[in-house]
Parts: sequence; structure tokens; C-alpha cells
Amino acid sequence: MMAPVHAADDASGLALGRKLFKGGAIPACTLCHTLKDADSTGVIGPVLDELKPDAQRVATALRNGVGNMPSYKATLSDDDIRALARYVSKVSGAMQGAAR
Amino acid sequence: MTHPKAQANPLMASHFLQGRRHLLAGSASAVAAAALGTWTRPAAAQVKPLPAYVSWKDANSLIVHSSSTLETRRSAFGTSLITPAEQLYIRNNLPPPDASIVADRDAWELSVEGVRNPRRFALRELKSMGLETVAMVLQCSGNGRGFFPGKPSGTPWTVGAAGCVFWSGVPVRAVIEDRGGLAAGIRHMTGTGGERLPEGLDPKSLIVERSVPIEAMTDALLAWEMNGVPISLAHGGPLRLIVPGYTGVNNIKYIRRLAFTTAETDARIMSHGYRISPPGTQGDPAQPSVQEMSVKSWINAPSPDSAAPTAGMVQIHGVAFGGLSAVRRVEVSVDGGKTWRESRFVGPDLGKYAWRQFVFAARLPAGSHRLASRATDMAGNVQPEHRLENVSGYNNTSWADHAVTVTVS
Ligand code: HEC
Repeated sequence: MMAPVHAADDASGLALGRKLFKGGAIPACTLCHTLKDADSTGVIGPVLDELKPDAQRVATALRNGVGNMPSYKATLSDDDIRALARYVSKVSGAMQGAAR
Repeated sequence: MTHPKAQANPLMASHFLQGRRHLLAGSASAVAAAALGTWTRPAAAQVKPLPAYVSWKDANSLIVHSSSTLETRRSAFGTSLITPAEQLYIRNNLPPPDASIVADRDAWELSVEGVRNPRRFALRELKSMGLETVAMVLQCSGNGRGFFPGKPSGTPWTVGAAGCVFWSGVPVRAVIEDRGGLAAGIRHMTGTGGERLPEGLDPKSLIVERSVPIEAMTDALLAWEMNGVPISLAHGGPLRLIVPGYTGVNNIKYIRRLAFTTAETDARIMSHGYRISPPGTQGDPAQPSVQEMSVKSWINAPSPDSAAPTAGMVQIHGVAFGGLSAVRRVEVSVDGGKTWRESRFVGPDLGKYAWRQFVFAARLPAGSHRLASRATDMAGNVQPEHRLENVSGYNNTSWADHAVTVTVS
């Protein structure tokens, strides 16, 4: 279950998630994914606005990698992964729940 | 022990599918998904249009997971053995190449390497070198992933990332013969796909290139036809490597290079992708690769995905296959696997790589019934009760996971 999130924390967390998505994470998510909120149009992976992955699904993909997508376990901190997971699930319109 | 959640999964998934038909896009389906709890992913609840490259498919038979993953509905399989192209699943590791490659099919070129006399062939030339047709189960390595309670990354397929289709083409053996035989020390057959790779990323990290043991060459084809028509772009036309008995990813689409090699390719999709990684680990080359399929069956009807049967005689039917070995028998249980009865095969036997249809006539009283099927192959391998846990959710053949609960009225 999601813990209540303070509005200001949430806004800065989402800003961090967006920044990581657009280039903070290497390779950048934008190279492979389309996500409207991040103005990205990559076509290698699924269109995240359509997939609408929940935060847990994003975090699992980032930790383990999936198919042609590399694992980010070695290059992103747990906080970064949580911020990305929250950002992608939120702006793609997925049901909200916290990533572990 | 069967995981209680695993028992519930197929039912939940199917209820949800059934619900989907009556819902339009948007908030109503999100509510339906929410009502079913956490297992059902909201993404699948969206009604999505077919992507352009598969616009010719039958949307009513398919679940669109993403633009590169489409699954056949359990209720759509029918009882005519062969899966029509319009219903066949799609799983692409990269977006398909431009449609211009199927405009002049005969001009498509394949490079053949690792033989005494390597050479490039135009498809036109390959067509003059031999002809064979095989009926084969094409199944994604991750078919059944949706039954893993741990929600592995990737598309949560249940049963529909599989189909039985005809392929026609030139036997790989004939091409090797034409080239004077294999070079020395060959142990693998390696196929490379013709997808366009994006700039700015290491090609080895993305290229669709897979190696299979050289023995797989014996029955392999370079195919240009599927179910009586030139292979569509979506299914790998103009030319696809067909390796009967091996999971989908090993059947390279738009093949542009067929190499007989001394080692497996070091492309990431081979070295780290498609590995049976024990829970808590990541893919690495020391782990078993996902290649040969093994004995599996499932019931297509009745299921919660199709019309509810009424009390009395019910024809329980489904499909069964053995991977590299033909399937010998299928037992059916109407009590969740406590007792088993022999089913009967129906329809023609299309060879060891095809699936067979089984049917079992049962008298079912009103109420809820857990129906299961369990196949045995010619080598005596029995479909297992439990899946082999692995991080990416590959090779699920568990009969317990594939069982269905139906309510007879
Ligand atoms: C090199 C290309 C590439 C990059 C970079 C990349 N992805 Fe992916 N991603 C993919 C592909 C391909 C898939 C589909 C994999 C499959 O199903 O086999 C995928 C799948 C996903 C999924 C769905 C996982 C599932 O369970 O189906 C999510 C969520 C995701 N990516 C998020 C991200 C985020 C966030 C980033 C940046 C940190 C990122 N991706 C970077 C290629 C990429």
C-alpha cells in the first residue's frame, strides 16, 4: 500500500524521475521509449503511455533488465529507481501504488 | 504444493478478459481491473487499437499488450488445428523493418557463412534449391509468464503466445549441401535478424541474433511461406529461419545472415537474455538458455473466457505438444488434478512438431469445476504440476497453472 506522500516531496520526486528518464539514467530511457510527458519518441521498447506500468513493474524492469533493456541496478541508486518508477507510473496514467 | 495464488490466477485473468468484451475503453475498465485486486495489471485493461503493421489481424481474437506484443485469446483458438495468421500472436524484440522489404521479396538477400564456400543468396535463388513444409508449434519463450505469482518483467502472457502454423521453404541441409558442407569445428547455427538498429546504442546489445545447437539444423527451414501465403512482415517475411521444436525467439525473422559457428553469438539477447535465471539472480551465460520446448497442454474450452456450459455433457478440448518429441497422450481431470482420465485425440496428426487436439467428454453437474490437462510425450516425459521458478518467467509448462475453473449452470 502507498504511504501518504507530502505534496512538495512528491513534486520534487517527480522532477527527479523526469530528469533521470530524459538522460540522468544511462542509457537514457528516451532512446528506446515513447513517453509524452518526457517528450520522448523512442521506438525500441513499448510505448509507456500505452503500457501504463505500475511503479512495481517499472522498478522490477529497472533492477533486472528485461529483454533488450539493460539492468540499471549497477548505475542507479534505490532512491533513483523509486523516483523513476513513481514518475513513469504517474505520468503514464497507471494505477498508483508504491515501488518497493 | 501449489501456490494458492497460482490457482486463482487463471480464473482472475479470464474473468477479467470476459469482462473486457463488455466494456469500452477508459475508466470503466480501470475500475474493473481495480476490483479484481492487484494481480491483474491495469495496462491490459485498456482497449487498444491494432498497430499499423498488424492492422489486418482480427482484433476480436487478440489481446493487445503493447504495439509489439499481441496475444491470441484462449477462446479464439477453435478446433481446426492450424492457427490462422489473423489470430496468431505477435512478439517482436525490435520494431519490424520498413514494409519496403516485402515489396520485392525475391530480391531479399541472405548471407550464408561457416560453410566450405560461403555465399550470398537472393531469395529467388533459395526457392530453386529445395522445398519442404512443416506444421509447427510457434510459442514464445514467455508464454505462461502471467501465471508466475512473482510478476516477472515482460508481457504477462497466459496461453495465447502460441499457435500451430505451416511453414514452407528450403531445408537448411540443402543449402549446406549446396555450399560444399559445413566448415570445420562447427557447433552452432546462428541466425541474425534484419531489424534496423538505432543510433547511439551498442549494436550487440540490441541485435536479434541467436544460436542453436547444430543438431537443430536437421529439420530447420529457411521459410518464405506461412499458412499458404508469403510470410507477412509481422511474422518475419520475406524470409524466416524456422527451427522446429525451439521457442519463438530462435526462429529469426527477416533473416539476413545464417552462420554456422564454433561458438554461440555474444549478442546480449543470447549471452544474457532468454536465460533460466534462478530467483534472485540476473541473466548470465552460465545459466541454461531458453531453446527447446518441452511437453505441454492446456484446455481451450470450456473456460471462463468462453460461454458458460450448462449441466450435462460437455466436450472439454484443448491442445498438446511435445516440443522436440511428439505427444503421446493427454489425460484430463475434472477435479483439479485429483483423478485423471484418458482423453482422445481429434483431427489429423500433422507431425511431431505440430500440436494435437484432445477432447474429453464429461458429464458435469451444475457448480464450479476445476479442469486440468496433463500431456505425456513419446519419450515418456510427463507435463509437470509445477512451473520451474525463474526470474524472467520462461518455459511455464505447469498443468496446475494452466488449469481452468468453470461454472456450470
Ligand atoms: C536499449 C533500449 C532501452 C532503454 C535504454 C530502456 N528501455 Fe525500457 N524497455 C526496452 C524494451 C525493448 C522493453 C521490452 C522488453 C521485453 O518485453 O522483452 C522495455 C520494457 C520496459 C518496461 C516494461 C517492463 C515489463 O514488465 O514489461 C518498462 C516499465 C521500461 N522499459 C521502463 C524503462 C525506463 C524507466 C528506462 C530508463 C531508465 C528504460 N526503460 C530504458 C528497451 C529499453
